[in-house]
Order: sequence, then C-alpha cells, then structure tokens
Amino acid sequence: MTENQLVYLYCVTNEEPTLKEAENLVEGLYFVHHKGLYAVVRNVEESEFGQEGLKRNMADLEWVKTNATLHESTIEQVMRNTCVIPFKFGTLFNTDDSLKAMLEEYGDEFKAVLGRLENKEEWGVKIYCDIEKLKAFSINDEPEILEIENIISLSSPGRAFFLKKKKTELLVQVTNRKINEYGQETFELLKELSFEARINKLLPREVTERGDDMVLNSAFLVGKDEVDDFINMVDTLKMHYENKGFFVDCTGPWPPYNFCGLSKQKVRNA
Amino acid sequence: MHNVVTKSRDVTLLEVLDRVLDKGVVISGDAVISVADVDLIYLGLKVLLSSVETMEKIRGASITGPMQEAK
Repeated sequence: MTENQLVYLYCVTNEEPTLKEAENLVEGLYFVHHKGLYAVVRNVEESEFGQEGLKRNMADLEWVKTNATLHESTIEQVMRNTCVIPFKFGTLFNTDDSLKAMLEEYGDEFKAVLGRLENKEEWGVKIYCDIEKLKAFSINDEPEILEIENIISLSSPGRAFFLKKKKTELLVQVTNRKINEYGQETFELLKELSFEARINKLLPREVTERGDDMVLNSAFLVGKDEVDDFINMVDTLKMHYENKGFFVDCTGPWPPYNFCGLSKQKVRNA
Repeated sequence: MHNVVTKSRDVTLLEVLDRVLDKGVVISGDAVISVADVDLIYLGLKVLLSSVETMEKIRGASITGPMQEAK
C-alpha cells in the first residue's frame, strides 16, 4: 500500500466471508483478520477519502449516491453467507495495523453483537399517508362527523358556517388520531414478531420525493425462521390500510444497521 | 397474496441513504477518519435530513404522537 492510500471498512464478521457467488463486486476487496474477526475492506485514495477529500465529496450528491450504493451493495454481498456488523459509510483507517488495533479494542463487543445477530435479519417498514384520502375515508367512518354533516344540512347559513368550521377541525383531529393509531398498531404487531424494533426519524417529502407523507419509519430485527410470518403480517396490514390512504412499504433483508448496539455508547468524541 | 416485499436490490436510493449515512457502527479514535468526525458534511442531504426535526416540530406531536424516535 502506498502512502497515499487509506483502508475503507465495510463490515466486520466472525468467519471468513465467502464471496464466490458475488456479482459486480467492487475491485480490490480484501479481509483483515484479527483474533477470530474479519474486517472487509479495500484500499482507497486519500485524495478521495481523506479528511479533506471526504469533506469535499460529501457535498457532491452524485458522489455520495454512487459511493453509498457501493457501500451497501458490498455489505449485502458479504451478508449473503455471513452475519455482519455494518459500519457507517465513510469509516477509514490509515493502515491495516490501525484497523487491527481497533479490532483488538472492540473485539469482544463485536463478537457479542455478532452472537446476538446470528440467524436474524433487519427489515424496514415505512408507512406513508395520503392525508386527503384518509380524510375522505374518515368522513364516512366517524359517527361524530356524520352527525355534524346531518345538522349542517338542517341548519341556517350562519350556523352552518360555524359547524363547517368545527367539522374541518374535527376532521384534522380524527385523521391525526388515525395516523397515530395505525402507526402504533403496525409497529406493535410487527414488534411482536421481532427480536428488536426501532422507530426512526420521519423523512420529509423533499427527501422521499413522494406525494404522500411518511408517518412511520421503523426497523425490525426478525429471526430468519419468522420472516415469513413477518411478511404475511405486513401483507395483511397493507391490505387492511390500502383504502384508508395508507401505503405500507416493506424492504429487506438489510444489513443490521439499526441493531448493532455500538453506535451510541462507543462514540467517544460525540 | 399481494407481493409487498421489495428485494433489497430494487429499493430506492432513499432507503440506502437513510441507512448507510445515518446508521451502522460508528467508531472514533486516533487512527480513524470517519464521517462522524467530519461534521455536517453531507450538505445537501444533511440539510434535508436535519430539516426532519424541524418538520416534526411544525407538524407537532399531534401527528407523530407517541411514535417518536427511540432515544
């Protein structure tokens, strides 16, 4: 390795990864072995991935897209046959030796995490809501709103004006309540079928580039034997919510990004 | 049976970025350079992602209610 290269870390495993069937694998991938752990890495140019390069490139959305996709696809190839601890995009070491020093320091924790993740997969469930569709559904679903509509039709114009205002407010309350209820119900039902579950930040429309709003962003750690049950439950929920303006988006299996357990307590400089 | 499950190779870029930039193990130390050390660098995206909190505030607890991110 030349002076101008760094070691980019993708993931850590506790057995030597087999990449025989891997497709479109990034060039130059190799393993750094230390005390029963394997770090999946490749050498990258310091000009591209060093402090300065990274800072410059992370402002370039096209570069981020290309490299984030590469990060993900590389880890996915490894996790086909091996349990992995996925690292955050852009984790770099100066040399293989400095990476080994990290494996020495965190080795026991990595082994514990890998033990916990064995035979489990991460699945992501996002729910989006078309608020207008939900409102339209709610008008016919809520006795209270139907009753106000009835009274409006029998009222003087002045009284009807205020009742309509009240109806609009009520409708907002009802749709918010339904969003909460459905989100909560979905999360709780899927949590029952999982080892661990997490709720993540909602992403705005500017990021999702969708016409409806994200109302739940969640991740589940599911036993491989329970994945069929989990997916059946997602299908059931999806069909149940479809006509109410909700869209349930389920993806996986993912590397267990949400369930590695080290990300919070081990950031010393945070 | 509806086939709702997307294979990971077909998932949107959003799904990938939501994970690889925001999740995964973070370590820091003398020998390590990480995105975490280069603060606020994923500009375009970071701006959008950090606007999420603002958006949650605007929309208020009425929509998200108890469904807040686990701290």
